[in-house]
Amino acid sequence: MTILRTNKLGLIRNQKWLFQNLNIEIPGGSLVAILGPSGVGKSSLLSCLSGSEAPSEGKIEFEINKGETKNTQSIRPELGIIFQNLRLTEHVTVLENVLYGKIAYYGLKEAILGFPKSDQEEAYQILSDLGIAKLAYKWTSQTSGGEQQRTAIARTLFQSPKIILADEPVSNLDTYYAGRVMGLFRNLATLKKKIIFCALHDPQLISRFADYALSLNPEHPEGWNLRKVEPKT
Amino acid sequence: MIPDGEIKKLPQRAWFERLNLLNIIVIVFLFLTIFSGKNLMDNNRPADVVAGFKYFIKKFFPPDFSDFSLILESLGETFQIAIVSTFIAVIFSLVISIGASRNVSPSWLVQTTRMFLNITRTLPSLIWAFIFVIFFGPTPIAGVFALTFYSLGYLGKFFSESFESMDIKVARGLKLIGANPVQAFLYGLWPNVKAQVWSQSLWMLEYNIRSASIIGLVGAGGIGMELNKAMEMASGFQRVTAILICILVIVIFLDLLGQGIRRWITQKINPKSISD
Repeated sequence: MTILRTNKLGLIRNQKWLFQNLNIEIPGGSLVAILGPSGVGKSSLLSCLSGSEAPSEGKIEFEINKGETKNTQSIRPELGIIFQNLRLTEHVTVLENVLYGKIAYYGLKEAILGFPKSDQEEAYQILSDLGIAKLAYKWTSQTSGGEQQRTAIARTLFQSPKIILADEPVSNLDTYYAGRVMGLFRNLATLKKKIIFCALHDPQLISRFADYALSLNPEHPEGWNLRKVEPKT
Repeated sequence: MIPDGEIKKLPQRAWFERLNLLNIIVIVFLFLTIFSGKNLMDNNRPADVVAGFKYFIKKFFPPDFSDFSLILESLGETFQIAIVSTFIAVIFSLVISIGASRNVSPSWLVQTTRMFLNITRTLPSLIWAFIFVIFFGPTPIAGVFALTFYSLGYLGKFFSESFESMDIKVARGLKLIGANPVQAFLYGLWPNVKAQVWSQSLWMLEYNIRSASIIGLVGAGGIGMELNKAMEMASGFQRVTAILICILVIVIFLDLLGQGIRRWITQKINPKSISD
């Protein structure tokens, strides 16, 4: 089973601790909502976990196979990231952006001959699950913010990683698709035992879909709080 | 509510902050032009412009197209020099420009490649041609080398500026999910600069066709060599006119063609840039 563990994790931004002495252990099958007002350090925590930013102290460990701890660098393909500003390649089609999800498994052959047909079919299926199948061959730059957000989500779903780090993944989506995407994440956690971190604002989404709620408190960097979300019946 | 000690009035800026640099530069240039113009006129030999013009009309007209096939042949050579040198320059510039882009490469590499690009760009194509004619003798190969080096300087600068204007975060994001550096470039950066690289390369081709027609003056092949020969002949002035007309026609034609192709490619690769 996959486990994500942080050990005395801390991050300084502008000479101020955002969080400190953060010790959490998240088992596979959990959906963790990171909450708190803007600027509280939600994105910074996620970029720490994704390895795009080095923590000021402490470390992050992943256990993909039992008893074998690994660092961020060595599990990259198992780390799906949905960035707040999406980071899609603008001048390629929506479908291609989705295909980039499996980039770690591609090589020279795909660079020259293009992506495998079966992968293209699979990516197309994911697009149609998210209601943007008709955009498959459209330039990403020509699609709307909400459509691009769904493209980024599709990329991560296609990547099918063991851990998903999503920074406000539904901020540009309407209630229907926000619920739908969170439902997909919920299923991935429950059925495929994935670990999913989501920075979220909407309390309704949190109580409906999350297992844990992690809140940060920059006034008291060590006063972070991880609580179990009681399921509504 | 305004906290204590905070200024309520619009703060005044110091006099040097209020200066409009652009206006000052325009005024300085105006003075320089007046001063230099006066100087240039004073140092000029008195010339009979009207007589010069009459001489030009008499000697250079009508154009002599008797060697038209020869002119066409060397125009073809001009064209070939431009195409080959542009192609080689584009390939090398792409590699060099990655080294010259601040957002991709370490600063020591950026400094070194930029220095190299600056040097190649500083020398005009005619000087490059002169240098390579010494190496290779008066052949079209000298012309190819000359234009390749000259284009390297420009394309390397253009390409690296295109790379630098791109959002590197996209490529970095791909690295975070397991892309190697080549893939990060290929899928995260290249698609976004492709249209610009195409357009700049075509511009360089147009430019090189113009350049290729004059580097023959120092012996580096092409129509310029014919021009040079004709100018050295006492009776060749009318041929000079014919050659110049041919160059003019072909350059204008290719300029228009290049513009058309460029617009078409930009539209195809990047439809957004047209609507913007």
